[in-house]
Amino acid sequence: MNKIDTNHEPVIESGKSVWLKYLGGMALAFLPLLLLIEDPHWLNIIAFTYLMAGLASSWNIIGGFGGQFSLGHGVFFGIGAYMTAKLYITLGWSPWGIMLMAAALAALVSVLISWPTFRLRGPFFAIATLAFNEVAFVIANHFDSVTGGPRGLMIPFKAGFQNMIFKERWQYALLMFAFVALVIAISIGVRRSRLGYYLLAVREDEDSARASGIHVLQVKLQGMALSAALTAIGGTLFTMYLRFIDPPTLFNLQEVGVKFALLSLIGGVGTIAGPLLGAALIVPFENFLRAELANALPGVNLAVLGLLMVLAALFMKRGIVGAYEDLMKHWRHKKGQS
Amino acid sequence: MDQFLNVLVFGLLLGGIYGLVSIGLNLIFGVVRIVNFAQGELVMFGMYGCYWAYVQLGMNPYLSVLVVAPLVGLLGVAIQRLVIQPLHNESNMQIFATFGLLMMFQNIMLAMSRGEAFSIGGTMGAEVLSVGDLKISVVRLVTLVATTLITIGLHVFLRQTMMGKAIRAVTQDKRAARVMGINVEKTFLITFGIGAALAGMAGALLTPIYSITPGVGGNFIMAAFAVVVLGGLGSVWGAYFGGLIVGVVEAFAGYYIDPALKSAVWFLIFLVVLIVRPAGLMGQVGAEEVGFREQN
Amino acid sequence: MSTPLLEVTNVSKHFLGLKAVDGVSLSVQKGEIVSIIGPNGAGKTTFFNLLTGQLEPTAGEVKLRGQVINRLAPHDRARQGMGRTFQIAKPLIALNALENVMIGAFMRHRSMSVATDKAMTVLERVGLAHLARRRAGDLTLSERRRLEVARAMALEPEIVLLDEVMAGLNQSEVGNAIELLQGLHADGLTFLIIEHNLKVVRAFSERVVVLDRGRWIGEGTADEILTSPAVIKAYLGEGHMGVQSKQTTEVNA
Repeated sequence: MNKIDTNHEPVIESGKSVWLKYLGGMALAFLPLLLLIEDPHWLNIIAFTYLMAGLASSWNIIGGFGGQFSLGHGVFFGIGAYMTAKLYITLGWSPWGIMLMAAALAALVSVLISWPTFRLRGPFFAIATLAFNEVAFVIANHFDSVTGGPRGLMIPFKAGFQNMIFKERWQYALLMFAFVALVIAISIGVRRSRLGYYLLAVREDEDSARASGIHVLQVKLQGMALSAALTAIGGTLFTMYLRFIDPPTLFNLQEVGVKFALLSLIGGVGTIAGPLLGAALIVPFENFLRAELANALPGVNLAVLGLLMVLAALFMKRGIVGAYEDLMKHWRHKKGQS
Repeated sequence: MDQFLNVLVFGLLLGGIYGLVSIGLNLIFGVVRIVNFAQGELVMFGMYGCYWAYVQLGMNPYLSVLVVAPLVGLLGVAIQRLVIQPLHNESNMQIFATFGLLMMFQNIMLAMSRGEAFSIGGTMGAEVLSVGDLKISVVRLVTLVATTLITIGLHVFLRQTMMGKAIRAVTQDKRAARVMGINVEKTFLITFGIGAALAGMAGALLTPIYSITPGVGGNFIMAAFAVVVLGGLGSVWGAYFGGLIVGVVEAFAGYYIDPALKSAVWFLIFLVVLIVRPAGLMGQVGAEEVGFREQN
Repeated sequence: MSTPLLEVTNVSKHFLGLKAVDGVSLSVQKGEIVSIIGPNGAGKTTFFNLLTGQLEPTAGEVKLRGQVINRLAPHDRARQGMGRTFQIAKPLIALNALENVMIGAFMRHRSMSVATDKAMTVLERVGLAHLARRRAGDLTLSERRRLEVARAMALEPEIVLLDEVMAGLNQSEVGNAIELLQGLHADGLTFLIIEHNLKVVRAFSERVVVLDRGRWIGEGTADEILTSPAVIKAYLGEGHMGVQSKQTTEVNA
C-alpha cells in the first residue's frame, strides 16, 4: 500500500489562504452597501442585516463552536443597550467608551450566570438561559428609575462621531459593517486557536475532552464571555442607531434572543460564514414579509421563521454552508467518476 | 391573618392550574426525554378550540374538553412522528425544532385572530364561593378538582393498563423495554399524544379563567418548567404537588413582595432545584438526565 | 520495591445499592503492561472511570506516583501523565486526523505551530501520517482506533489506559496493533489495558488482573491466569477460555 502522501497542500489551511478568503468574503458583503448607498430604505435593511450578522456570529462562538445553545443572549444585548443609553443620557459619556465597559460587564455577567448553568444538559441549559432572559425583562421593567421601565429610554439626536450618532444612514450601515467584519475576524481567530479546537472538542464529547486534558468548564466560560462581550457591543450599536430602547424591544425572545441562534442555524451553525449567510438571507426576507403581509396578517413573519426553524432542524442541519459543502462533495465525486 | 389564608388558597388554586399544564409536559419528558417548548401552545390551541365550540356550537367549555382534548392529542402524535422522531438523538436540534413550533403556532394564531383577544369568562368566571372570610373562585376550584382527578386517573392508567406499564418501562430504561418487546417508537407516539391531549384539556378547562390570546401559552411554559423540575421528571404526582408548591410560592411572593416577580420565582425554583436536588421531589429520572455532574 | 506508578487501594463504587466496583486493589509499576480481563458487567470500564476521574470512588484510594488523586479532576490527571482511550471512540469527525491529534497536543503546547508539529510526529509514530488530512469520519475502524491512541499519545503521557482498543478488529489488524503497542512500550510507556481478546492478552501483557462482578478475583502472569480454574469458572457461559470469541465484545463492561 502506498503510504506516501503526495498531496502538497498544507494539512491545515494556511493563515494566508483563510484571511484572503475573509477579505474576499467581506468585500462581497460590502457590495450591497456600495450599490445601494443612495437608497435609505435599503440602507436601513442592510444596516440591520450587518448588525444581526454580527450578533449571530457572536452567538455562534459559544453556540456553534461550543455547542452550548444559549437562548438568553438577549441579556447581554440588553446590557449593552441599557448601559449605553443610560450613561450617555445621564453622564454624557461617549458611547465608544461605554461600549467597551458594557462588553466587560456583559462578559462578567455571562460568567456569573453560566457558571451554575453549564452543568445542565442541552435542553435544561437552554431553558435556564431562556429564564435569565425573562428575568432580565422583568428587572428592566421594574427598575424604571434606571431603565425607564416600560416607557424605555430615548436618546436625543445630536450628530457627532464621538456620540456615535450619524446624520447619514450610510454611515450607520458602515458602522454595522465594521461590527460584523470585526466579529467574523475574531471568530476566525478563535477557530484557528487552541480555544477554538477546545470548544469543538467540548461540543463533540465532554468526557473525551476531559481525558484530553481540557478543563471543560473553563473553556465554556471563556467562549461564553467572549460571545457575551461581542453581543453587548452589538447592543450598543443598536441603541445608538435606533435611539430608542425598551424592554420588549430588547428581550423579546423570538425577535432577538432566539433570532441570533436561528440565523446561525439557517446559515450553518458552527461555521464562519454561516451566521452572515443566514442573516443575509433571513433579515431582508423577514423585512419583506413584515412590510407586505404583517398588516393583514400580524405575526406572519415570525410564523414563517418558525417554520424555517423546524425545516432547517429537520432537513438542513448544517445550514446553507452545509448544503453547499454537500453539493461540492457530490460534484467532486461525480467528476472523479467520469 | 385571614389574608394569609386567602393568599394560600389562591396559591393552591393557581397551583392546580400549573399542575394541569405541567402534567403533560412531565409525561412527555419522562418518556420521550425531550423538552417540548411548544407545550404552552398546545394549551393555547385547547383554549381556542374550546372558545370556538362555545361560540359556534354553544357548547359548555367543560363539555367541549371531550372534543378538544383528543384533537390536540392527535396534533401531538403528528408532532412526535414528523418532527421529534426524526431528530431522536439530536437534543440541540430538538430545541430548535420545538421552539420553531412554538413560534409557528403562536404566530399562526396571531395572524388568524388578527390579534383580537377573546374571553368566555363573563358570569361564569366571576362566580365566587364564600367560606367565612375566604373567597374562592368557582372555576379555579373546578380546575383544581379536575387536576386532582386527572392525576389520579393518570396514576391508575400508568399502573393498571398494559399501555401504562409500557410507558413506565420505557421511562425507566428504554433499552431494557425494547429488549422486553415493547415497541418504543409506538410508546413515544402514544405518550406525546396523551401529553398533548392533557395540554388541550388544560386549555379547555382554563378558558373560563384566562383571556384567550395567541401568547397565552407563554404565561404557563416557564412556570411549567419550574414545576416539572421541582416535582421530578417523569413523576405524575411530582407534577401535581410541584404545581401546588409553585403556585403557593408565587402567590405569597406576589402578595408580600411584588406581583411582577412571578418569572423570577419560577426561575429561582428551577435553578435552585437543579443545583441542589436535580432529581426533584419525586423524580423517576436520574440526575444524569438533567446533566448534573461534577463541575470541572 | 519502588513506588508504583499507579496504585489503587481497595477502591469501590456503589450506585444506589449496586456495587459496580467492590474493593479492588491493583498496582502498576513504571514500564509494566497490565491487562484487566473479566466477563461482561465485571465493572472494568467503571474501574477505569475511577482511575481517570470521570467518577469519584465511594471508598478507597487512587494514587499516582504515590500521591492520592481521588479528588483530582480528569483534565488534571491527564496533565499528570494519564492518557486514556474510550471504548466508543468519539473523534471530531468533521476535522482531519491531524487536527484530532492536535487537540491532545494542545495540552502541553499552546501554540498552533508547535502543536501541529507535535501532532504530526505522533501521527508518524502510530503510522497514520499518510492520513493526516483525511477526515476522521472517513477513517476505517482500525484507523480510528489508532487515532484514539494517537490523541492519547499527544498528551505525552506516562501511563496509557486502553479500553478494549482491539474490539472489532480482524486478525491482521490486531497483529498490527499489537506491534504498535509493543513499540510504544519499548519507548518507555506504561500500559494498563482492558481486553476481551485473549490473544492480545497473551501477546501483550506482563501481568493479568481478573475482575468479576466488580471484585478482584485473581492476578498473575498471562499463562497462570488463563489456566486458573477460578477464572475459567467466572467465564463459564461466555464460551471456552482460550478461544477468541467475538460475541464477548459488548458495550457494557
